[in-house]
Amino acid sequence: PDCSRLILLSFPQCAGEENWVDSRTIYVGHREPPPGAEAYIPQRYPDNRIVSSKYTFWNFIPKNLFEQFRRVANFYFLIIFLVQLIIDTPTSPVTSGLPLFFVITVTAIKQGYEDWLRHKADNAMNQCPVHFIQHGKLVRKQSRKLRVGDIVMVKEDETFPCDLIFLSSNRGDGTCHVTTASLDGESSHKTHYAVQDTKGFHTEEDIGGLHATIESGASGSLETDFMPLGSENLLLRGATLKNTEKIFGVAIYTGMETKMALNYQSKSQKRSAVEKSMNAFLIVYLCILISKALINTVLKYVWQSEPFRDEPWYNQKTESERQRNLFLRAFTDFLAFMVLFNYIIPVSMYVTVEMQKFLGSYFITWDEDMFDEETGEGPLVNTSDLNEELGQVEYIFTDKTGTLTENNMEFKECCIEGHVYVPHVICNGQVLPESSGIDMIDSSPSVNGREREELFFRALCLCHTVQVKDNDSVDGPRKSPDGGTSCVYISSSPDEVALVEGVQRLGFTYLRLKDSYMELLNRENHVERYVHLALRWKRQVLCVLPQFIRARVERNAVEGLRTLCVAYKRLIQEEYEGICKLLQAAKVALQDREKKLAEAYEQIEKDLILLGATAVEDRLQEKAADTIEALQKAGIKVWVLTGDKMETAAATCYACKLFRRNTQLLELTTKRIEEQSLHDVLFELSKTVLRHSGSLTRDNFSGLSADMQDYGLIIDGAALSLIMKPREDGSSSNYRELFLEICRSCSAVLCCRMAPLQKAQIVKLIKFSKEHPITLAVGDGANDVSMILEAHVGIGVIGKEGRQAARNSDYAIPKFKHLKKMLLVHGHFYYIRISELVQYFFYKNVCFIFPQFLYQFFCGFSQQTLYDTAYLTLYNISFTSLPILLYSLMEQHIGIDVLKRDPTLYRDVAKNALLRWRVFIYWTLLGLFDALVFFFGAYFMFENTTVTSNGQIFGNWTFGTLVFTVMVFTVTLKLALDTHYWTWINHFVIWGSLLFYVVFSLLWGGVIWPFLNYQRMYYVFIQMLSSGPAWLAIVLLVTISLLPDVLKKVLCRQLWPTATERVQNGCAQPRDRDSEFTPLASLQSPGYQSTCPSAAWYSSRSQQVTLAAWKGKVSVEPPPALSGSRHHCSSSPSHSCPGSRVQLLV
Amino acid sequence: MAMNYNAKDEVDGGPPCAPGGTAKTRRPDNTAFKQQRLPAWQPILTAGTVLPIFFIIGLIFIPIGIGIFVTSNNIREIEIDYTGTEPSSPCNKCLSPDVTPCICTINFTLEKSFEGNVFMYYGLSNFYQNHRRYVKSRDDSQLNGDSSALLNPSKECEPYRRNEDKPIAPCGAIANSMFNDTLELFLIGNDSYPVPITLKKKGIAWWTDKNVKFRNPPGGDNLEERFKGTTKPVNWLNPVYVLDSDPDNNGFINEDFIVWMRTAALPTFRKLYRLIERKSDLHPTLPAGRYSLNITYNYPVHYFDGRKRMILSTISWMGGKNPFLGIAYIAVGSISFLLGVVLLVINHKYRNSSNTADITI
Repeated sequence: PDCSRLILLSFPQCAGEENWVDSRTIYVGHREPPPGAEAYIPQRYPDNRIVSSKYTFWNFIPKNLFEQFRRVANFYFLIIFLVQLIIDTPTSPVTSGLPLFFVITVTAIKQGYEDWLRHKADNAMNQCPVHFIQHGKLVRKQSRKLRVGDIVMVKEDETFPCDLIFLSSNRGDGTCHVTTASLDGESSHKTHYAVQDTKGFHTEEDIGGLHATIESGASGSLETDFMPLGSENLLLRGATLKNTEKIFGVAIYTGMETKMALNYQSKSQKRSAVEKSMNAFLIVYLCILISKALINTVLKYVWQSEPFRDEPWYNQKTESERQRNLFLRAFTDFLAFMVLFNYIIPVSMYVTVEMQKFLGSYFITWDEDMFDEETGEGPLVNTSDLNEELGQVEYIFTDKTGTLTENNMEFKECCIEGHVYVPHVICNGQVLPESSGIDMIDSSPSVNGREREELFFRALCLCHTVQVKDNDSVDGPRKSPDGGTSCVYISSSPDEVALVEGVQRLGFTYLRLKDSYMELLNRENHVERYVHLALRWKRQVLCVLPQFIRARVERNAVEGLRTLCVAYKRLIQEEYEGICKLLQAAKVALQDREKKLAEAYEQIEKDLILLGATAVEDRLQEKAADTIEALQKAGIKVWVLTGDKMETAAATCYACKLFRRNTQLLELTTKRIEEQSLHDVLFELSKTVLRHSGSLTRDNFSGLSADMQDYGLIIDGAALSLIMKPREDGSSSNYRELFLEICRSCSAVLCCRMAPLQKAQIVKLIKFSKEHPITLAVGDGANDVSMILEAHVGIGVIGKEGRQAARNSDYAIPKFKHLKKMLLVHGHFYYIRISELVQYFFYKNVCFIFPQFLYQFFCGFSQQTLYDTAYLTLYNISFTSLPILLYSLMEQHIGIDVLKRDPTLYRDVAKNALLRWRVFIYWTLLGLFDALVFFFGAYFMFENTTVTSNGQIFGNWTFGTLVFTVMVFTVTLKLALDTHYWTWINHFVIWGSLLFYVVFSLLWGGVIWPFLNYQRMYYVFIQMLSSGPAWLAIVLLVTISLLPDVLKKVLCRQLWPTATERVQNGCAQPRDRDSEFTPLASLQSPGYQSTCPSAAWYSSRSQQVTLAAWKGKVSVEPPPALSGSRHHCSSSPSHSCPGSRVQLLV
Repeated sequence: MAMNYNAKDEVDGGPPCAPGGTAKTRRPDNTAFKQQRLPAWQPILTAGTVLPIFFIIGLIFIPIGIGIFVTSNNIREIEIDYTGTEPSSPCNKCLSPDVTPCICTINFTLEKSFEGNVFMYYGLSNFYQNHRRYVKSRDDSQLNGDSSALLNPSKECEPYRRNEDKPIAPCGAIANSMFNDTLELFLIGNDSYPVPITLKKKGIAWWTDKNVKFRNPPGGDNLEERFKGTTKPVNWLNPVYVLDSDPDNNGFINEDFIVWMRTAALPTFRKLYRLIERKSDLHPTLPAGRYSLNITYNYPVHYFDGRKRMILSTISWMGGKNPFLGIAYIAVGSISFLLGVVLLVINHKYRNSSNTADITI
């Protein structure tokens, strides 16, 4: 090869990846361009170091502290702490400094540990050896030393160290196989092609002598001698080389500029509704705090206006205090009051909430019911911030394929020229014993028909992207049914596998792709070889179907099968060459490449001859119907968003009980809009819906009662975009509102032919509608990622389409059916738990601080604390922290089984029911009442009398200790009253923390602590306990404090019971746990038991089916059209454009 | 609230050299804890379960309340205000600071005799012993006999820390404002001359305070020697080592001083002054009759609208006279009993209606 030739390559900018590709010029092997070329400006690129860590050893402390104090709460506590340090405040800085220090340290340690893990991973990645070509020789270097322009050699099963342009491979045809399992989970092999001009360089010396320049970016490099590069020439970092001995490539993006690194960029953080209400409550409390401090400051100065009060003879100020400016004094007093009352917003609440979320999320991952035996996958929790949001879902947006259905394709039948062939139960390569051969509905085809038939089968057999794996080492081996040759089909499209396997049942076995020849075994056991043409595309074609096939296709579509028509065209040599040229020209076009390709295909796909149609079934996921029914009963609106065509999708919806028999379907499809204007259709629909709902408002709450008319809406992508499109006159919201109105009245909505972005758009539309409902999106494929990210809660189904969705989701579950337990049980529990946690925290701190406030009226507004410093510090940290934390982890107000059995209970917590203002005010008032009881109870006890039998007198610290003791007991017992699920842990923690309080107090007061400069608590607690009236008072005050709450609970339960309370009353007696699933198990399809275990051996599926349909500009209805696919170059990392659909047989 | 598991994500997002799916089964353990199926007691507060509790509370609290109330009512207590702000009061003359020492006598009559031990208190009103500046104005180390703190009191004692370049012992506002009236009680019998009542000085302070918390500074036998280098609080007439002639009740361990140093919770308070011990079972400690109270009036309270009282009280097991606890117990008991009845009615009614409701559903 001519090593000195200068090769100019251009790499176009892909749409939608602007942030990735900038414009750059790369000199392969660092060879500068020959003199005479334009000015050579060396560009600087980052080295190949991957840095996912946030901190370094040096900047950890300052940066981490900065990050932490950026959070408002931490900052607030820091301010309080600083105020305490600077001015003379009633409490020592320790009281707020210690908890703050604790919180900051724990968080810092956690983040530091995480960062250390990242450093370790980074180092492992940066130091692994890479083979370079330097001056024609092979050199080993560390990965991080790789630079842009270096030529790299990668051997089989190695991971690409950076983004490479594929120069050559040792395979003759200049291809290599790549799996992106670690990028997106797709374990299928994808074929990449070496750059045409360099694929001949096979040795290190050859490659070392290469002179080439790569231009990349949008800089309109229109020079004609540039060889265009496409995504098929690009090998991404993180992907692994397979089935190829070695390849050479030149690094074009390194380090943090690789696509993988760019994809690290974190998603925006989601906040739960509970957190929002918590923040609202916090603001209220902040206002209370400020107003308390203000009131006290004002009162202080009013009270002090008489000098004998400000400075009586027995209590003189120091000279410096006297001389201080009045305003400064007032401001200092205000701050001191703030500090005194600041415990009303406790540091520990944040810690507890975080711990609750973090620890609580483990119950999801531990849940055995959500573990899938077949795949060995359990649920994943990617964020613990949204646990409680699972209990608040109002809308579920679900993908169909792979989520509702198994994405486990089964070749059902094919129909050729009026004959229907039904291979007996084939399920992904396994045959049930009793079935064999073909069941022909209409036998004895004519000779002509037989030819057609074979052509049809051959077409199916050849036109696909299926690869054959000879060994069984692929994840989840699947043997071909013939048993003889143990070959396994892998493809990115499960449809194709199903087709190839189906054809195999009908007598044609695809063997392998060998040296550009495709081999297949025909019915006579002859091996046929066909030239493999690298012409692959898929299109959606409009054609007229013959009567029979049309009827069949329609029927199949209605049954929910995925239909496909096969047609052919005979090409002679010249025609073929012409086509090749045309395509090549289009492929290398620098501008409008896609458009030109489309035009070329348009030209080729004319005058096709229809052979027949196939039908592939995508099974419903196990218990999908049961799950959807339960979710609907729970008051959640389920929307199905799919790329499939309407009939298929609607059939699935019926099958999974989204639509029932009595559901009245409203259609908002392109077809209808073509007939009437959008305006008319919308108004008509809304009239239908509203007329009904208007008359039914009375029993709205009864939900899905039998006589209520059920509406289901079907809308397609095109119609949706019409609705979403802003109109010229600017009144865009008009249609949207109307549309939302209709949607609200429908119990189920089906959106078909949706683009991924449209899915997100719909989610967004609902999310920002005026009720701001909580949305949940569930999907399994890369095309669902946008909506998963958009929805409040994104759930990924760990499916066969790779882990894209699971990785981007907040929670990942193995199967759709697990959604039921996730929402109805876990979501419900988490919501109950965290709402109690939040309310209780505010309650107990009102109890804590309000007596202090009251005490100011009796101590001359001097900011004297009621409680000792130790009590102030430890109240939230240790005396009352564990019971509520454990409550918020363990509480089950109703059994798990009841929640699963009765989905309607979910409605009881809908719309943030337990954190409404009414509830919040109740808790706050309860706290105020209790605080009044504690304070004035102790006040009347102590007022001007003695309470000991030896006549001795107690002081102010005993007073505070009495209040505090009553408070700790009341607050803990209040939680005990709220606990419905007393495990030994709850007993241990509740009684344990009371015991701890007593023991601590005894100890704290029992010793003269040498490190303290005051001994005010010495023997105070013990002296208090030696007085009988103190005991009586504790019992009395605790009783009075708890009485109203008990009364309220009992009365509400008796007079206005919620559904939950009714069930609680009903199931007070023990119930049988074992029977829980039997009634449901019988509901599922009888076929399920006999199906083979669905091995996930092709873990990916191309976008072919789901993405294909929506691209259509021409909307197709089944009678005159056939389902097919349209050419689509996906921008997903798979970079594959698989699958010819319309066959070319030469 | 960011607690994402980012690290995990990113680590397996970009596997280093060795790729390949580690397909380990993550099957969760089937333990009761992890499956949230720990055996648990699941109580529910219904009217049925709460009803008996209400009645029990009623039945227990009412007798207790009655008992406390009766006990409290049996306690004898008499309060003599000797502030002297009224012109008719014998102590009125003492309001002016010029009269020193000022002694006034107030006569009073006990209608009923006081049995058992009688406790003599002094009470102050409108005196903010719980003011923050006041409460912290002391040095517990100094009071505990720490010699370094004796000579260098805590800053908290300001402005009562040093006087004339000498450290004040005991320092601080509390000690400085120690109550220094002297009260004496005489029984005016049928005889012409009054009989003094023996007032016991010891046993008025907490035992732990007297023996552990408060200690004189170390040193020789001579108390004055031990307090060498310190000066008396500004308002005091005598230094701390001449508070009492009894060496066991002198210096920091003087019980009057200790009692004063325990700051009161509320601006109106009383403090134990003296004990009047019962002499024999036959005679009441203070028989009914006329008494006279001799006051050496030193402590000015009229500057801040304060009042001074002398209180004589007997004590039961539950302390002094305090009707609050008894009344509260009776009230809560009755309310609880009443609520029980109300609930019973509601429960009864509800059960009927709910049964019918169930049928219609």
